[in-house]
Amino acid sequence: MRRSLLKKMLAFGLTGALTMGMLTGCGGEGADSKASSDSGSGSATEAAADEGGKHLNFGCYVYSTSYDPAEYQNAAWDGTRHGIVECLFKFKDDLTVDYNICDKYEVSDDNKTWTFHIRDGVKFSNGNDCNAQAVADSLNRLYTVCATDKKSSTPETYLEMDSIVADADANTVTIVTKQPYADITSILCFPFYAIIDVEGDTSDAEHDYTADSTSVIGTGPYVIKSMDETTKCSELVKNENYWNGEVPYDSISVIFIEDDSTKASALKTGDIDLTENITTASDLEELSGDDNFYVSKTPGMRSGFAYVNFNGILGKNEALRQAIFKAVDGQTLCDVTVGGMYTYGPAVLPSTLSYDYESLKNDFEYDVEGAKKLLDDAGIKDSDGDGFRELDGEKITLQYITYTNRCLSDFAEAIQISLAEIGIDVNVTNTDSDTEWNMMQAGEYDLCDSNWTTVGTGEPSAFLKNWYGGDKGSEFYVNSQGTNYCWYENDEYDKLYDQYMASTDLDERADLVIKMEQILIDDCAVLVHGYYNSSFLSNASKVTGADIHTVDYYWLSTEIAPK
Amino acid sequence: MNNFMKKNKSFLFFCFLVLLVVLVAVFAPFLTGGQDPTEGILANALQKPSGEHWFGTDKMGRDIFARVIYGTRTSLTAALSVVAIIFTVGTVLGILAGYFGGIADAVIMRFSDMMISFPGMVLAIAIAGILGASIQNAVLAVSMVSWTKYARLARSLVLKIRHRDYVAAAVVTGSKTPYILMKYMLPNALPTLVITGATDIGGMMLELAGLSFLGFGAQAPTPEWGLMLNEGRAYMAAAPWLMIFPGLAIFLVVVVFNLFGDSLRDVLDPRDE
Repeated sequence: MRRSLLKKMLAFGLTGALTMGMLTGCGGEGADSKASSDSGSGSATEAAADEGGKHLNFGCYVYSTSYDPAEYQNAAWDGTRHGIVECLFKFKDDLTVDYNICDKYEVSDDNKTWTFHIRDGVKFSNGNDCNAQAVADSLNRLYTVCATDKKSSTPETYLEMDSIVADADANTVTIVTKQPYADITSILCFPFYAIIDVEGDTSDAEHDYTADSTSVIGTGPYVIKSMDETTKCSELVKNENYWNGEVPYDSISVIFIEDDSTKASALKTGDIDLTENITTASDLEELSGDDNFYVSKTPGMRSGFAYVNFNGILGKNEALRQAIFKAVDGQTLCDVTVGGMYTYGPAVLPSTLSYDYESLKNDFEYDVEGAKKLLDDAGIKDSDGDGFRELDGEKITLQYITYTNRCLSDFAEAIQISLAEIGIDVNVTNTDSDTEWNMMQAGEYDLCDSNWTTVGTGEPSAFLKNWYGGDKGSEFYVNSQGTNYCWYENDEYDKLYDQYMASTDLDERADLVIKMEQILIDDCAVLVHGYYNSSFLSNASKVTGADIHTVDYYWLSTEIAPK
Repeated sequence: MNNFMKKNKSFLFFCFLVLLVVLVAVFAPFLTGGQDPTEGILANALQKPSGEHWFGTDKMGRDIFARVIYGTRTSLTAALSVVAIIFTVGTVLGILAGYFGGIADAVIMRFSDMMISFPGMVLAIAIAGILGASIQNAVLAVSMVSWTKYARLARSLVLKIRHRDYVAAAVVTGSKTPYILMKYMLPNALPTLVITGATDIGGMMLELAGLSFLGFGAQAPTPEWGLMLNEGRAYMAAAPWLMIFPGLAIFLVVVVFNLFGDSLRDVLDPRDE
């Protein structure tokens, strides 16, 4: 009897321990974080708590376990998002460029030689000076390691460098580019070009760059204390050597939360003080209406859209393509289906950017009857009475691939319903982003969802390249020169794009962008869902200044402070 | 007959309920007044239950009542398919293993042991993940991890009679092996296996709904209860009807089938009384 009781108690205890273990796997509070972070001197949270320091629990999606800007794009972004690294320049919310580590610059008449003066007094978080030599070393190291297979970032995509040389006396860095650029200050805002303290001899081919991943030393307001690669949770502490004013928090727990509803619940229960981009419309609406929380929303620079495969049925049949564009009620999709998470527009670039959005004309606005008429006139009819139309005697079934990110799968499902109304069958495959990417590259789709940061470097050339060079053959894609995975071909578009890339006149470039956008609209080349509205949500009684920025890679900053 | 009905009232009652569930599935178009469960009016998203939409609408403006009713078809077909597959495969393999013994027994049973050594749901998720998400693949995945129970059961039931005199007599009088298997082995194992099968319907329904909930089973816009629960999860506070009705449907149908299985056991295997 006693043994049985003992067994029961043991089982009860074990069950309790297991349950607690599961619940606290990636907790935000001090002791929990400590368990999952690296050992040694104890967690930052605990230290901050012991000292009565100011602590922030930030729940967010963590895209990378590395902060090295050379590692790959997500790592570079997380470095700037978490306030660990900074660039020579930074974007303001209107996407004009502001000085940051650089405080003045000069450019030669041929737009190829750029001389940047490094701000005096800037220090890395380890106390080392962030002077011209350090900046040149950091950028040289970026280009050196990214040319090898050790790192995956692609700084060469945006900026082709000839040389990067420091003048220690003048505290300037001179960058010579291979071709003229209209403006490289906006490109240098991109997280690839974040400045880090380079350890060791960067000219040494044997240097172990992998060691730099999580131990990145930057000039941002916060420093990595620990990062658990399994839970993707990290502890940040104040950068005692920060050069640009007071750092408001002594420590920050960055808690990886994948699910949007969990983010909302954690904020409501007080487990986290701040979170980003809740894409569940109902949660966002509820929190917006509650005075205990502060919700900051802004139309960002991210565009949600579906590629149209021009090698498939949609590319080959213009009437079918046009009918599909007419059958989709983009406004309702943005306002109702995704609850205002997107702002509707038919152009590929967000309406908030300075590309004279109002001048664009869309001949394929929502018109179901018009869509049906287009199909009827083109002889695409439902002849067997199954509710779906046939083309050349064969039922049309469009393959639509999507993934669960920023409401994209909701768009896909709603478009499936919309197209059923005009008698077009759609098979939606909701997969993970990697599989979708592979299917997209292989051309195994008719419609393929994506969302892009359209002007990550302040201008849209990388984004607009998605529809460039369709006539250059498969070699073009194989050797990664192109990103045109929808096989769109338009000579006029290609000509304008080449002109855009060659031009250094900012007004002319803006004009060319508008023309390219209009061509894409006229050709029904891309089914634009809308422009994603980024959001930051905070506990109003604990946090102040938690406003989301237009640029997607700015999250934690000194503006966010305890109340 | 009257005597049977008097003695097995509860069995008849649950038979009636099961029949009701089947009728709901069969007459779904009639019950929903011709409402297509996949057709939605996007502007009517997330409407509360009302006279027009008894169970409200989902985020795509689809009628939840129609989806729940049509969901009976999906869930019932899938669950019955799983039970049919595992019943057949498990029974055949179990009888063969028990009757022939030796290498056949060793191979079949070691393979079965191997399958059992994995947690069922985890293995089903892995299989469904590899095969790709669809209700057919979910049925396959659940079947692949669930047949072992029937194989072991059939084997043990066959072993019980394998060396009885009447089996030996059948062998020496020249009965062929297929005849012995069909005439002696299968009938001996069948009642217990049928009871197990009937009791499993509810459990399989839950497993399939679980897979769909996790995204490894039915895909949108299929009206399937597990998938509907997942779709409603994000709106649990703002639009609880998205989860309540499919949840209730799963609960009721699983309870009906579980109780039906229990009452069938009482009929076929009265020893428990």
